[in-house]
Amino acid sequence: MQEFSQQVISGIASGGIFASLALALVLIYNAMGLVNFAQGEMAMMATFVAFTLISRGVSYWIAFPLTLAIAFAGGILVQRIVIRPVERAPLLTLVIITLGLATLFNGLAGAIFGYVPRSFPSPFSVETVNILGAFVSYRDLGVIAVSGAVLLLIYLLLQRTTVGLTMRAAAHHPEASRLLGVHVSWMLALGWGLASAVGAVSGIMVAPIILLEPNMMQTIIIYAFAAAVLGGIESPLGAVIGGLIVGVTVNLAGAYLPFVGGDLQLAVALAIIIGVLVLKPNGLFGRPTVRRV
Amino acid sequence: MMKRLRTLPPRYWLVLVVVLFFIGLPTVIDSFLSGEWAQALVLAIAIMGLNILVGYSGQLSLGHGAFMALGAYTSAILAHRYKMDYLLTIPIAGLVTGMIGFLFGVPALRLSALYLALATFALAVVTPSLIKRPAELTGGVQGIVLLPPDPPQFARDAFAALTGAPMTSDQWTYYVTLAWTLALFWLAWNLVRHRAGRAMRALRDGEVAASASGINIAGYKTLAFGISALYAGVAGSLFGLGTGFVSPDSFPVGLSIQLLVGTVVGGLASIPGPLLGGIFAYFLPIESNQWVPTQTWIPGQIVSTIEKAGPAVTYGAVLILVMIFAPNGVVGLVTTAYTRMRQRLRGVPDRETGQMPSDHQTV
Amino acid sequence: MALLELEDVRAGYGATSVLHGVSLAVPEGEIVSLLGANGAGKTTTLRSITGGVHWTGDIRFGGRSLRRMHTEDVVRHGIAHVPEGRGILTELTVDENLRLGSHLRRDGAAVRKDYDRVFEYFPVLRERRRLSASTLSGGEQQMLALARAFLMKPRLMLLDEPSLGLAPMIVRAIFEIIRTINAADRVAILLVEQNARLALDVSSEAYVLEVGRVAVSGASSELKGNESVRRSYLGY
Repeated sequence: MQEFSQQVISGIASGGIFASLALALVLIYNAMGLVNFAQGEMAMMATFVAFTLISRGVSYWIAFPLTLAIAFAGGILVQRIVIRPVERAPLLTLVIITLGLATLFNGLAGAIFGYVPRSFPSPFSVETVNILGAFVSYRDLGVIAVSGAVLLLIYLLLQRTTVGLTMRAAAHHPEASRLLGVHVSWMLALGWGLASAVGAVSGIMVAPIILLEPNMMQTIIIYAFAAAVLGGIESPLGAVIGGLIVGVTVNLAGAYLPFVGGDLQLAVALAIIIGVLVLKPNGLFGRPTVRRV
Repeated sequence: MMKRLRTLPPRYWLVLVVVLFFIGLPTVIDSFLSGEWAQALVLAIAIMGLNILVGYSGQLSLGHGAFMALGAYTSAILAHRYKMDYLLTIPIAGLVTGMIGFLFGVPALRLSALYLALATFALAVVTPSLIKRPAELTGGVQGIVLLPPDPPQFARDAFAALTGAPMTSDQWTYYVTLAWTLALFWLAWNLVRHRAGRAMRALRDGEVAASASGINIAGYKTLAFGISALYAGVAGSLFGLGTGFVSPDSFPVGLSIQLLVGTVVGGLASIPGPLLGGIFAYFLPIESNQWVPTQTWIPGQIVSTIEKAGPAVTYGAVLILVMIFAPNGVVGLVTTAYTRMRQRLRGVPDRETGQMPSDHQTV
Repeated sequence: MALLELEDVRAGYGATSVLHGVSLAVPEGEIVSLLGANGAGKTTTLRSITGGVHWTGDIRFGGRSLRRMHTEDVVRHGIAHVPEGRGILTELTVDENLRLGSHLRRDGAAVRKDYDRVFEYFPVLRERRRLSASTLSGGEQQMLALARAFLMKPRLMLLDEPSLGLAPMIVRAIFEIIRTINAADRVAILLVEQNARLALDVSSEAYVLEVGRVAVSGASSELKGNESVRRSYLGY
């Protein structure tokens, strides 16, 4: 029982990481109806930025928000330079472009930093603390706390500020929003910036665990896809809940199902994706959309 | 018949020239290069398959690397474990992969294009782990080693007669690959021209409208998936033939991206496109890796990082630039240029009546 | 110089041309009706003003030309446009819709007073503040759209068929409020309406569009009294 609750808490921590990246996906999907296949690689680049700052002597708790700010700016830049010229292109064109971005960022990271995995510092020690009989690591608690804080901040931003309101308006009703004086195009850029910053959080949280290298986020993005699909690709709340469920499920499957083991955990994510898409394509919190001719 | 020959459109003559070029190629290049061209043709076949799916039926699959793996391993296991003649395994691998692809196509029907892309992408990422697992069958991490086939007597004689040199197994592999390429391209060309092709194109242009006009959407979409997988399966099998070795690391997600790049660059929904795409996708990283070190003005560390990361950066940049500036790929650019040139030479349709100025040649 | 001036405006959608040279003017603080049959180009005229459709000619607001201006910038210059279908953001709550009306304003105290007035005119909006805007009936959505436009504190309001699909009593209430807003706050209004009688009652001037051109124009009282105009153009 004790081992079980440890696995669950560990799964919640992974879930926080998946949820952050899934939330980034949901933000962009809500803004444009597009799944950003480059989200993971953008998060990876941001993590490398954090690494560079920290290795130059910047303290972790300054480098962290600074990296988020840089990631935010980077997201806006990507939207302005690459996405905006083809805003009206068909969806598949945009998907292929995000794939191009993913490949490009992966290559750039490799070119600049090389492929040797590096260790990334975490402000939380791996020591465990005894909570109600289970041994939980500080790192897991830290990840849960940080992810939770970021997700809460995003929620507050979107739901309780005017900027968040105009972003949501622009995402769901672009034409009507223009008639209310909302600069829809800038809201889109903001959405990308925000998504990029949130994605960066997942990168920074996961790097200490799986080591920092250009291919680091390739598996994480799959888990994030599973979380977003499970929660409903348009629902920020769904992304969070989906992330938690995926995190716990994958952890428990790896620990308790012998044929899954460590290396097929990713296949569990794939199974979740396929299962949800076939059985309940809108996920837990999504809504069916009307297809236009 | 002579009259028909004379009035054949220039397109047909171009095809003939290209075919002759490829048949003659190994006689003028060295054996190793023939092997490389064979690999480019392998990619061309897989890209043709992907093109059928994406360009003609509008379903985006990012997991065709997985189908290639399936074909490659089917052949490898049949040849290695069951001692089957490798050439025989090729159509079997194609059929097996095709059937699995067809089965895939059924649940794929329920997915929007975006979700299909997402699911197949996940599949591509998971593929290496899935291969490693049944280690007994697949050889696990170490993969399966295949013996390169010896060219049969008739081929050896023919080659010797042409060039006076003995035929290497690389060159034999090249011709096997070429034969399959020609056959599969010809098949695709026929498919596209006839009912199935037109139905698929109607699909791509608008599913609801196509359904309203009575086309069996489900049937054609799953058919497209199956055919497309068959091509990838054959390609995978030929891949194993050419490299002599299959392992989980031969089929990373980067392979699926490479196929996508080739499809896009060559030109979606075209027949010659995949050939150009395959050549581009295969030779670009190799050529740039060979060219870059010779440029003395590039400092040494940059050369080595370009060599390692270059392909990814190039592929990524190419994907983005092509989709922004030339979404119809090379073939699209050529066709547009050709059309524009014809218009300039022969005039545009009359604005009032819509009639073209008369000309005598029919195409 | 009138607040809004259209000079020989031509506009259309793709190859189809809808407006073939419309000229009209809305004086400061006045209500002007734009009448005509379906397809005459009334909605296209409004959409041209706020940049929703490509146009040629000239459109000037407060002396300044609106050519090449993005919709959101035209709106920020002081024009509130309640489009056909009302433009309610159904994914958001009633309150959020209202806030989008006032979000550009910096005069906090005046905004609060305006909210009070809005709830005075439309008490149902206060009741349903926290509910999704999609739960409102047609008449309530029209009220929300009007309230939101009012909160923008515009100099000019463009109203596209406010009476469409609404019960007569609600229409009467809404037109009362339109009259009030115009009188109390000196907001000019360009009113597109199918219901000519209502429109002529509330407006001081009117233009009648026919197949993309102004067929008749003049003071509303005159047009109301002119039987042949009423019968040929206004259907009553």
